[in-house]
Amino acid sequence: MLDRITLERRAGSGPLRSTLTYAAAIGVALALSLGVMVAAGVPTGALFEELIVQVFLSEAGLARTLTMATPMILAALAAALCLRLKFWNIGIEGQLLMGAILATTVALYDIGGPLRLPLMLIASALGGALWIALPAILRIRFAVSEVIVTLLSTNIAFLFLQHLLFGPFGDTMHNFPTSPVFDNAEKLPRFGFGDVHLGLVIALTAVLVVALVTHRMRFGFAARFAGDNPRAAQAMGFDTARVMLVSILVGGAMAGLAGGVIVAGTEHRLTQAVGLQMTFNGIIIAALARNLPLLIPIVSFFIAGLAVASQSLKVFYGVSEGIVLIIQGIILLTLVTFQFATTYRVTIAAARPA
Amino acid sequence: MPTNHLAAPDGAAFALEVTGVSKSFGEARVLDSVDFDLRWGEVHALLGENGAGKSTLMNILTGIYAADAGQIHLNGAPVPVRSPADAMALGIGMVHQHFKLILPFTVRENLRLAAGSTGDDWTAIDAKISEVLEKTGLDVSLDVPVGTLSVAERQRTEILKVLLLGARILILDEPTAVLTDHEAERLLALMRDLVGSGHAVVFITHKLREVMAVGDRVSTLRKGRMVLRGKAVADVTSADLSIAMIGAEQAAVDARPARPLTQPILEIENLSVLSGRIKAVKDANLTIHAGEILGLAGVGGNGQRELAEAVMGLTPATGRIRLHGDPIEQATVAERRALGLRYIPADRASDALSPDNSVADNLAVTAVRTGKLGQRLVAPRRILSHARKLIAVFDIAGVTAGGRRPIRLLSGGNAQKSVLARELDTESRLIIAHSPTRGLDVAACRYVHDQLIEATDRGCGVLLISEDLEEILALSDHIHVISRGSLSTTPDARPAREDIGELMLGHA
Repeated sequence: MLDRITLERRAGSGPLRSTLTYAAAIGVALALSLGVMVAAGVPTGALFEELIVQVFLSEAGLARTLTMATPMILAALAAALCLRLKFWNIGIEGQLLMGAILATTVALYDIGGPLRLPLMLIASALGGALWIALPAILRIRFAVSEVIVTLLSTNIAFLFLQHLLFGPFGDTMHNFPTSPVFDNAEKLPRFGFGDVHLGLVIALTAVLVVALVTHRMRFGFAARFAGDNPRAAQAMGFDTARVMLVSILVGGAMAGLAGGVIVAGTEHRLTQAVGLQMTFNGIIIAALARNLPLLIPIVSFFIAGLAVASQSLKVFYGVSEGIVLIIQGIILLTLVTFQFATTYRVTIAAARPA
Repeated sequence: MPTNHLAAPDGAAFALEVTGVSKSFGEARVLDSVDFDLRWGEVHALLGENGAGKSTLMNILTGIYAADAGQIHLNGAPVPVRSPADAMALGIGMVHQHFKLILPFTVRENLRLAAGSTGDDWTAIDAKISEVLEKTGLDVSLDVPVGTLSVAERQRTEILKVLLLGARILILDEPTAVLTDHEAERLLALMRDLVGSGHAVVFITHKLREVMAVGDRVSTLRKGRMVLRGKAVADVTSADLSIAMIGAEQAAVDARPARPLTQPILEIENLSVLSGRIKAVKDANLTIHAGEILGLAGVGGNGQRELAEAVMGLTPATGRIRLHGDPIEQATVAERRALGLRYIPADRASDALSPDNSVADNLAVTAVRTGKLGQRLVAPRRILSHARKLIAVFDIAGVTAGGRRPIRLLSGGNAQKSVLARELDTESRLIIAHSPTRGLDVAACRYVHDQLIEATDRGCGVLLISEDLEEILALSDHIHVISRGSLSTTPDARPAREDIGELMLGHA
């Protein structure tokens, strides 16, 4: 059977074919996901209400989705900036935690006077960049696998966070492992639309800057060539090691900034849960957006919507939170399968005469 | 049973006959109603430029591609070839340009692995191997890891492999491209031996001389059509074949007239390069003057790549390198490029191009890096117009959407032209061209040569590193020979052909 299937690489697929494939993949993924949700016990009649109205069309739902999307955009930038240089950043959560920790440090120790809020954000970006510096240098200089180092350094960051929350950063007012709530001057301003805060504007600005640099500036050129073929980039005169280091550090800074935006914008204190699922979310969004910065906010918006919907599905229908991971997996796998179909033509020959 | 096809009955005129085969990839019609035939006991040479459809036709015969239309007959009977396994069962075997061998395994282990699917045990396979070796007189050491063998020996292993699997029809895809002159002679002799014992060989090549030397009949593809079908080699001249292949009279390359040497551009003194623990380049000395092409002949892997990369600043080296009299040993690649050094590497896919980036970006990348297309912001339209100019001047074909599509979609010849277009800019002063015509068809070769000569007319110096002696002899003002990292010390002469051969083998 298998020997009758032939694969032919297509000579290249135009923008129309890619767009159609993309749309078809999302359609199929949605259909499969709906099936999974119905199987998990969500009444068919409630699907539209829960997945569309409550997430994107109602004011409260839209506000929650946008709030949820804010750190996701930054985490996805962290994944995409590194992935473009073929550096697998599996430690977004760790960088995010270090960013959150440094921002909290600035807040709790009242550093910076009137410039405290900007200082918190800068500190968070620095924290993320510092936390990715070691894996970056180990990889660039000594070819140590970044997958292992970023992954394990996340554990270190998490244990450090626990140490702080159960120790010096712990709130003396009660016994939960969280920091005290920030002062008002340490909170990102909100727009009066649910919890949506300045972090969204910061994240979108970061997207625009990354897009501008990637597609319109000399450094972006260097990064695109160094990522695709470092040997050739070197022969063309690019300092590939430097380009790689800078891109990865900026990626780490984006993850750190996500941490800063969560503590200063949403949580208003440091908790154990600030980085939850952010590595996976960041990578999946970057993959769905094909590492294109301008697509990241759009994909983040939908992935955030899914996360918001899953919370109410859990409350009202007792559906496990794991369902959201299953659905994300379905979307990613469907897309990858469809991308395969745009790259190759599959033909199945007729059965042989016996 | 497939073995029925292998008998060569006197009744059947042709071992293999292809009629009306067409194949399109997307909108591109790669083969247009092609006819081709092959007799038992003949070497049938298949000529054609890059992209003429030779590989596609052979991939259809070996079941890798399915034809859109047309028929394949074996010994006069129609046969389906739907997969490489089908082709093998019918006795059609192909030796590809890129070998499919497992390097740490010995030759015997590779052969056992390949023959394992027939269900025979190792003793039976080993007996078969001995039988094939005896019949063909192939010279292969069986119990040596493939990784330690030379390219020619690996190629013989591949040939042995397809014979072992029962191939009576052998398709050799540009087999001499990777061989030295001497090795190529041996391969041609082997091809005669094989057809002498009743096999049939399809010999794909670019080299007219080899067609004349070994072919019984010759066919020529041009742009997907069979323009010359099964002519006896004795009845055609190389001029006929040239014209069939490229569609116009092709003048032979004349040796360049010698020019007076003026100003030295590149001076290398006692240059040594370590590659691992071995000295890949040993105390090399050479000087290239303005307007001079210095040919560096030698068998591949004798330190050519290391020398080129050391001059470019891509690999650390000891010794002195001066450009326009200034020492550049400590300079970065970017600084050397700013002084006019340019590099056309031997392996363009891995060392010169970024396959997933667009044609336009690949053409413009060095201009973008140096800020010529904008200091801060680089407007896409400036990149596209820069690329458009180069595409026109260098006649790069196959570019779609104004150069916005990935450069990996271009054919080998056009990809090489893109590298040239980028590297031979007006500020180039010294060009290192390493095998700049490898794998190119006659017309593209000539184009590359013309461009290099034109660069010298502007006063550029060229270091031409090539394994193709004809190319070196035709273009070079002076010739050095490199052997095991050492340069011959006859810089001011053009040694005779035989002398170069001796030097290449390290005899002198």
